[in-house]
Amino acid sequence: MIFRAVEDADLIQKARRGNVDAYNLLVSRWERRVYNYLLRILGNREDALDLTQEVFLKAYQNLRKLEDAARFAPWIFRIAHNEAYSLFRKRRPESDEEVPERSDRGVTVGGTPVFPIELTLAVASALDRLSPEQREAVVLKIYQGFKFEEMGEILSCPVSTVKSRLYTALELLKADLAPAVKTRGVE
Amino acid sequence: MNCSPFDLRDYVLAELGESGRRSVEEHALSCAACREELERLRLTQTALLCVPDEEIPQRVAFVSDKVFDPSPWRRYWASFWASSARLAFAASAMLLVAAFVWSRPAPVVVPSPAPWVDLAKLEREFDARIQAPIAKAVADSEARQEKKNEETLRAVEKRYEMDRKSLMLAMDENLSLMQMRMGTMVLATSGGAGERP
Repeated sequence: MIFRAVEDADLIQKARRGNVDAYNLLVSRWERRVYNYLLRILGNREDALDLTQEVFLKAYQNLRKLEDAARFAPWIFRIAHNEAYSLFRKRRPESDEEVPERSDRGVTVGGTPVFPIELTLAVASALDRLSPEQREAVVLKIYQGFKFEEMGEILSCPVSTVKSRLYTALELLKADLAPAVKTRGVE
Repeated sequence: MNCSPFDLRDYVLAELGESGRRSVEEHALSCAACREELERLRLTQTALLCVPDEEIPQRVAFVSDKVFDPSPWRRYWASFWASSARLAFAASAMLLVAAFVWSRPAPVVVPSPAPWVDLAKLEREFDARIQAPIAKAVADSEARQEKKNEETLRAVEKRYEMDRKSLMLAMDENLSLMQMRMGTMVLATSGGAGERP
């Protein structure tokens, strides 16, 4: 883990000096995670791919503003978060509430199903019932594995807010999903 | 709610340290309610992870274009402004220089004594250089004006005399004409009376 962090920092240093190959290598390490984060909160593959490209372009243009190379992960996800919400605002400029409306509901997330399709549908449905902020907190924690502190950095809010959103989401998901999992015997 | 020493959600979400994790696990061995809650949380997490990440449909890559690459100087300049540490150092250095410059004592300027002035002499010189030419200019102007007035007066008198002469001449002519008419009338009257008996 530490070795990987050092390598990323090295690539960032090279990219800052204009080494595009180093930056491409860095992108190849993070593009899947950024794409899936955007896909899970946008619910649309095309938008997720477009924004992923936009995120890495912006990151390259602002790479010199990243003071601590070890904080690259929260930094790049912060850019992705901003891009996603910028897209929501663009799509719904008249709305006061920044509610990301997932364009495809249900089965867009996930590749070849290795679990029962009913369970995949139940998960997608349960995630859809969450508020956008709660869903994003779940995505960052469960799927991306960020710590509370990093999530606060990405979402630009206090850790207490992050915890509150996540705990509420977990309670809702637990009520929806735990019985379904138990009856299907998935461990 | 549960009676665990630490939040069970933090345990499942891997936010606890090693000692915290051990405390929760030990507690769960002896507490059925917490054990059950832990199981529900784990099942929820497992269900969520049933939906795995997708492969990105198209790789993201950038190409280098030397035309648009910033020069090394511009890169340094950009990195300078991007680094708050360097900016802070530069600001401190400038502040230090400013403080040094302003703290230096200003050079004392000793005023030289004013020279002694002879006011009477100054007045005389003033009269000689300024007053005399002014008085001369005023006198010349007055003389010119007087001469002009005299010329105007003479012209007026001359014109008056001419008008008067022409008037007298006209009166003489009128008088002569009247005398001639009266003479003619007298002759006519006397001639008519002699013919009548």
